[in-house]
Amino acid sequence: PTQVVPGADPSARQLCFAWGPAEVLVCETRFGRAGGSRSRSPSRSQSRSPSRSQSRSRALTGSVTDTGEGAPGSSRVFLVRRDQDIYIQTLRKLFNESHGIFMGLQRSEDELAGKSRKAQLVQVSKNYRSVIRACMEDMHQAAVSTRDPALQGQYSTQVSILSAMELIWNLCEILFVEAAAAGPLLLRLLDWVRLHVCDVDSMVREVLSSENPSKHKLFWNVVDVFVLQGRMDEARHLLSKEVTANPTSMNMYKILDDLMKKMPMPSLGNTQTLTELELKWQHWHEECQRFLQDGTFASNPHMESICKILVGDEDAILEKKELMTTWYHFLVTRLLYSHPTVKPMELRFYAQSSMDLFLGGESSPEPLDMILMAAFEFEMHQVIKECSIVLSNWWFVAHLTDLLDHCKLLQSHNLYFGSNMREFLLLEYASGLFSHHSLWQLGVDYFDHCPEFGRVYLELHIERIPLNTEQKALKVLRICEQRQMHEQVRSVCKIMAMKALRNNRLGSALSWSIRAKDAAFATLISDRFLKDYCERGCFSDLDLIDNLGPSMLLSDRLTFLGKYREFHRLYGEKRFPEAARLLLTLMTAHIAPCSFWMTLLTDALPLLEQKEIIFSAEQTYELMRCLEDLTAGNADKQKFQEDDVETTKVEMLRLALARNLARVIVKEGTVEGS
Amino acid sequence: QVSVINTVDTSHEDMIHDAQMDYYGTRLATCSSDRSVKIFDVRNGGQILIADLRGHEGPVWQVAWAHPMYGNILASCSYDRKVIIWKEDNGTWEKTYEYTGHDSSVNSVCWAPHDYGLILACGSSDGAISLLSYTGDGQWEVKKISNAHTIGCNAVSWAPAVVPGSLIEQPSGQKPNYVKRFASGGCDNLVKIWKEEDSQWKEEQKLEAHSDWVRDVAWAPSIGLPTSTIASCSQDGRVFIWTCDDASGNSWSPKLLHKFSDVVWHVSWSITANILAVSGGDNKVTLWKESVDGLWACISDVNKGQGGVSAVTEGQQNEQ
Repeated sequence: PTQVVPGADPSARQLCFAWGPAEVLVCETRFGRAGGSRSRSPSRSQSRSPSRSQSRSRALTGSVTDTGEGAPGSSRVFLVRRDQDIYIQTLRKLFNESHGIFMGLQRSEDELAGKSRKAQLVQVSKNYRSVIRACMEDMHQAAVSTRDPALQGQYSTQVSILSAMELIWNLCEILFVEAAAAGPLLLRLLDWVRLHVCDVDSMVREVLSSENPSKHKLFWNVVDVFVLQGRMDEARHLLSKEVTANPTSMNMYKILDDLMKKMPMPSLGNTQTLTELELKWQHWHEECQRFLQDGTFASNPHMESICKILVGDEDAILEKKELMTTWYHFLVTRLLYSHPTVKPMELRFYAQSSMDLFLGGESSPEPLDMILMAAFEFEMHQVIKECSIVLSNWWFVAHLTDLLDHCKLLQSHNLYFGSNMREFLLLEYASGLFSHHSLWQLGVDYFDHCPEFGRVYLELHIERIPLNTEQKALKVLRICEQRQMHEQVRSVCKIMAMKALRNNRLGSALSWSIRAKDAAFATLISDRFLKDYCERGCFSDLDLIDNLGPSMLLSDRLTFLGKYREFHRLYGEKRFPEAARLLLTLMTAHIAPCSFWMTLLTDALPLLEQKEIIFSAEQTYELMRCLEDLTAGNADKQKFQEDDVETTKVEMLRLALARNLARVIVKEGTVEGS
Repeated sequence: QVSVINTVDTSHEDMIHDAQMDYYGTRLATCSSDRSVKIFDVRNGGQILIADLRGHEGPVWQVAWAHPMYGNILASCSYDRKVIIWKEDNGTWEKTYEYTGHDSSVNSVCWAPHDYGLILACGSSDGAISLLSYTGDGQWEVKKISNAHTIGCNAVSWAPAVVPGSLIEQPSGQKPNYVKRFASGGCDNLVKIWKEEDSQWKEEQKLEAHSDWVRDVAWAPSIGLPTSTIASCSQDGRVFIWTCDDASGNSWSPKLLHKFSDVVWHVSWSITANILAVSGGDNKVTLWKESVDGLWACISDVNKGQGGVSAVTEGQQNEQ
């Protein structure tokens, strides 16, 4: 089946397509460009390079002649998205809570064996179902409280979908997870039918709440409903009301009531074996049959039809089609009254014939029917496949398959990648979550539990999470760091550093580049810091620079930045000799870039002009050498020599150095042993 | 189920040739025969025009977003023989580099994996492929492969970055030894694979299967398997899937995806490489997925079977 893009021009246009991270882009275009037309050998004039002036006109004519039509076409680009379900607010609970159940299941003890493990898995299944039901309730509330008919329609549709999901899941729980054996199987199926066939509920309520139920026109319908659903006590209770109003039928009533009371039912406990039950049931069945054949109920068609149902008369049961509403209700009723000890593997035969008889060629089975049929036939893979087709998102099949896999029920159906069905579905589901701005975090956990491709899928998807805020970036980072995704860590840090730099937040940029261990970037940012310092005379983000610690070693420039700041600190604390030593080391050890030497030497000036002598003779010689190196190196630079400020500075430095040298020689010469 | 969540009215005055989302799906770049490149902010269903970039003197054929770690950078190529690299600085988009080294229309541009640095491959109708590498400080270094394809080169696509040998974490700061490769498709009906060796680009493989011009090539993202996969489509209506099983990249074998009734113009892979989109002359975009038995199936409805997405089309209103 094809999907029409609404709004797209139906005339013969082509579609250009591009993948976005979550959406896909579709736009109308016409392929076939100048230099690449459909003809095998384009004309010479087109393939040869057009000259500048020609190219302009050729461009226009090129596109026209190629397309053969003059119309420029639509200028619209469509953003198309799959899997809209994750954006439905009311389903949020479904995704969040099922995530919790999923995680619990993954972590649950596999060591538990046999019965306790099964009980555990059944509980998990029940938990999933209660989440579905809770969602249904919310959705129903939403449908009821909205005034917008379109929304109401949407909500109602969602409710039916959720209801169908719960119906299927429940059946799968009975047949696969619990794997109910003959006996309890029927009881479970009865519960299932009672829970899910709700069309008759309002009628039942109406009759029960009326003043005189037995006089209600739908009275017998309700009795029939109870009998069809195996609700014997309720049926008997209602019947008793009828007989008090109608004493003539007392005899018939007593017999019928007795039969209904004695009906053997499977039990959940181990109070009787299957064989015992079968025997009892056979006996009872024959008794019912006798009463029927004797014409005991002949004068009361209602009671007679009930007795016919009790003996499992298919036609009698089928007559009550409208009260059963579905073929699977019919199936269970049939089983109840003809073969209550049905074994799981025998279900398929009854199921197929029930559906055929019920639909009777009038209507054809719907997708839901096919899914249920596949379940009765114990074709698990078929169930999953059909559900994938029918449902609009992967939630259901992913979680159900995972559960079935934990029940060790799925053979490894090797798909192309070598991964199994479970992983395949989980990957699809989790990938879908990633297009949502907050649900993506759930997706991470799902990928974690996909042993073959989870990690690489996570790597590919997590790169596409927009890092709008620092908070989000940190979240993504933490996830990547926890999983040793080093490439992604580096990538995120680099992106954040770049962003910070663009917004002139140097400190932030620096700390991100340190985290990214990106030496080149750290150098770049350090240069910016230094440039800022030269321009403004002070440092920004002092805290960060002061506390660089070992990360200072990431890049030479960064080291210099850190050390230079240290110099300023020492100077501020009046620890001049230390400051002086550091300053000198910065130049002699070539930690400082040449471009910065002038600034450093200028920084030395105040130290040179202190009353106290700070630089030793040797140090002064070093400084002088540095200065000469610097000025010699800049001999070609005209600017340097012509710049008055610079030349003045150099002169001042030379003077200061000379003076210092003089003082220090005297001092060192005078003082003993210095 | 597929639904249109946003319709961006680009106001291009002529045919749109390419539209690309950025990495995060927050921005949309479009280019057109009207010679302009436009950038829109499409967050939350909106469409705000951020930039209307003029600079080309002919129809602009393709746009490509660079990896966000390099900032907001977009490349465009045009019939006017130019490749322009645009960059956003302080909220404004400007031309940051213009390459005019081709003698004919530049048909395709593709950024290399971010691990290699900022490198752009460009394929031109003059038969050459040029590689522009950013070396810093606004400077770009150019390497040209002349006569890569006779008559012309129509498409270029980079291979995902894979470090040969083990995947042990390299000590920080040290660049791993990547083997850079990309694929190109041309008017000589060939798909070629190029490999960088000793800073030179050499033709490593010649893939022959098409009987007419190759219009597009797309190298699939890597999901960690040792196989490499390339999709190619051609004027001959065929789409081939090429796979190479060994790490040395020596034996490529083609598998025919489908023979379409018209020219196939465009192929592209989804992020996790599990779906291939094919845009063809028969007014359709079809989506393909590889099934259990290695056969490629056109997936027909959303979530149908083991992976289903709808085929998107327009004009065929009555099909159910």
